Amino acid sequence: MSQVLVSIYRYNPEQDSKPRMQSLAVDVPGDRDLMVLDVLELAKAKDPSITYRRSCREGVCGSDGMNINGVNGLACITPLTKAAGPARKLVLRPLPGLPVIRDLVVDLSQFYEQFEKIRPWLINDEPPPPAERLQSPDERAKLDGLYECILCACCTTSCPSFWWNPDKFVGPAGLLQSYRFLADSRDAATAERLAELDDPFSVFRCRGIMNCVSVCPKGLNPTRAIGKIRNMLVERGT
Amino acid sequence: MTGNRFVTQALGEYTLAGLANCSAEIVKTARPVNLNLFSIKWPVTALVSIAHRISGVLLFLAMPLLLYLFELSLSSEAGFRRAGAMLASPMPRLVGWLLAVALLYHLIAGCRHLLMDMGFGETWRGGKAGARTVIAISVLGAILAGILLW
Repeated sequence: MSQVLVSIYRYNPEQDSKPRMQSLAVDVPGDRDLMVLDVLELAKAKDPSITYRRSCREGVCGSDGMNINGVNGLACITPLTKAAGPARKLVLRPLPGLPVIRDLVVDLSQFYEQFEKIRPWLINDEPPPPAERLQSPDERAKLDGLYECILCACCTTSCPSFWWNPDKFVGPAGLLQSYRFLADSRDAATAERLAELDDPFSVFRCRGIMNCVSVCPKGLNPTRAIGKIRNMLVERGT
Repeated sequence: MTGNRFVTQALGEYTLAGLANCSAEIVKTARPVNLNLFSIKWPVTALVSIAHRISGVLLFLAMPLLLYLFELSLSSEAGFRRAGAMLASPMPRLVGWLLAVALLYHLIAGCRHLLMDMGFGETWRGGKAGARTVIAISVLGAILAGILLW
């Protein structure tokens, strides 16, 4: 057994007028590494009022995105040793820039609104062929690195451009999905999609800061996708 | 009759929706936001980006001063000497060096932006390498400018 000092952002709208940090010493097994989510569960055993979202505990559902020692990530697939380092201190805060509902739970409405804006579905009015809409292996390969997004919001909530303009800048997650459909050979709405993004804020607020790329738990690259969209907009004659 | 009822109903709904919106707005603004910039760990790419902006603001603010000195140095031979004398004392020289470094940094970081727009250094590894290169060249340039000035 060894001890980890966990500092957790606490806010209960029914009791607190403003958020505070709560420190808890948590005993963890010394013989193996835990994930941050495991430590959080141990902390919750000590104080059952600690609130957070979680579901699959294996980096697939994307519900336990949070700010772990200053870096956004999924608690369930972030090893304690990697996050806390030799200091054995864990600081858990909610995803930055979004309104906190309680403790580590944020209101993702603005994030979803931006996602909805880019119309994240295939648009093709031509009657579907009897079997399926076919793609060549090369066309399909263009979607790699785009379709894997689980919408955990780690990238978008680490982006300063989104913090300052959450209502106008689509954000890295939304733009990655936007490019996923722009790059899809089966999608027929490329021109309309580009027209919808053609303003000073939706795409062009990206300053290439790359916080999004640095935190993505799936190793995806929104900066590159945004660059591709920008090129498409320029070629179209913005 | 039916038309009237429809209007009343629609109005009722409208106000209710308005009220719901209002309360949602109040709840939203009352909620805290975790945005303590000192609690966030910044990757090197972000530091290079914010320094790019700070150096740009610095250069913009220094423009009146630089334009004044430029104008003075072009006015006459005596003016040129006066401008030279002004820059000779240690404090203004330090300011001049700082501005030269800011300009150099802003230029190099801007070139990195152009390269990234052309698709170079857009991977995470490439982005970090580019950011570190910008810092390395700027530090070298700052030392060189210091040697030239002193």
